[in-house]
Amino acid sequence: MFELVPIVIILAFLFETMDSSAGMGFGTGLTPLLFVIGYEPLQVVPILLISEAITGFTAGFFHQEFGNVNFKLKKPFNKVTKIMINIALFGIFAIILSVFLTYYSLEIDKSIIKSYVAILVIIMGIIAMFKLRNKSSSYKPKLLIFFSALAGFNKGIGAGGYGPVVMLGQIFSGIYEKTATAIVSVSEALVSVAGVCSFVMMPVLLNQDIEIDFYLLPSVFTGGFIAALISPYIVRVLPNRIWKFIIPIYALSIGIYILAKLYIL
Amino acid sequence: MESEILIDEIGYKAKLIEEEMTFFERMKIEKSTLKRMLIALFIYVSVMIILSITL
Repeated sequence: MFELVPIVIILAFLFETMDSSAGMGFGTGLTPLLFVIGYEPLQVVPILLISEAITGFTAGFFHQEFGNVNFKLKKPFNKVTKIMINIALFGIFAIILSVFLTYYSLEIDKSIIKSYVAILVIIMGIIAMFKLRNKSSSYKPKLLIFFSALAGFNKGIGAGGYGPVVMLGQIFSGIYEKTATAIVSVSEALVSVAGVCSFVMMPVLLNQDIEIDFYLLPSVFTGGFIAALISPYIVRVLPNRIWKFIIPIYALSIGIYILAKLYIL
Repeated sequence: MESEILIDEIGYKAKLIEEEMTFFERMKIEKSTLKRMLIALFIYVSVMIILSITL
């Protein structure tokens, strides 16, 4: 059934705008809200992955177009392209592991691991805010590998928070904020493609039946796609010092939101 | 050699735009970029038509 749901379009637009311009929040923010509205996990999770794959590549393309990043897709790759591939590889491994764990119902206590990720994101957000006055530091590749692996590990065990950890990890590793956002957009798109593939392939491999409900796709895709066109432009136009404030504050609020959802809401 | 190092620096293009262009200059969108945005919108409309037929 083809139907556009206005509230879903608006929410997808808002969260994708923030995701494509501050590098985080689409999955972490939108998923629980759609559950609250009354949608089921199989109506939400695969649709968000499909949408994130398309909007991530779209945002990445326009980040490149607006000069926020300079990917080089022909060999030899430049540094920024190698960073994007490294981050994506950790995420791809993690999302396959995560889907595998879900299908095998290897339940880990979600509240403990989600609390750990929320606290991690809050601490990283606070450190990033303290670093606001510092001048941009030099690039630290080992630190970036550590944060990519940490974000991948979190996603792999089903704790989420991949965007905030990768985004803040890049900033701690000395990557320019506007460029870090573009890197996250494309690597998240690649991770989402792997997520969609493993979502479809895993039941086939395990001889299980699964029926994905595409009802939300037109609405999520509409909001997300428009946001993916606009966000790279917003990133280009606003001065980097504004992103230096927005990114840690937004990460901090995501961390607090995860904790509140677990223990208060 | 120096310019090569500069070009390989992460985020050099974004930094260059930030340093050399004013806020209003950054607001201007090139015609070629506008065309690509319109093509993207056309792709979006096509996808929605396909979805309306298949769903």
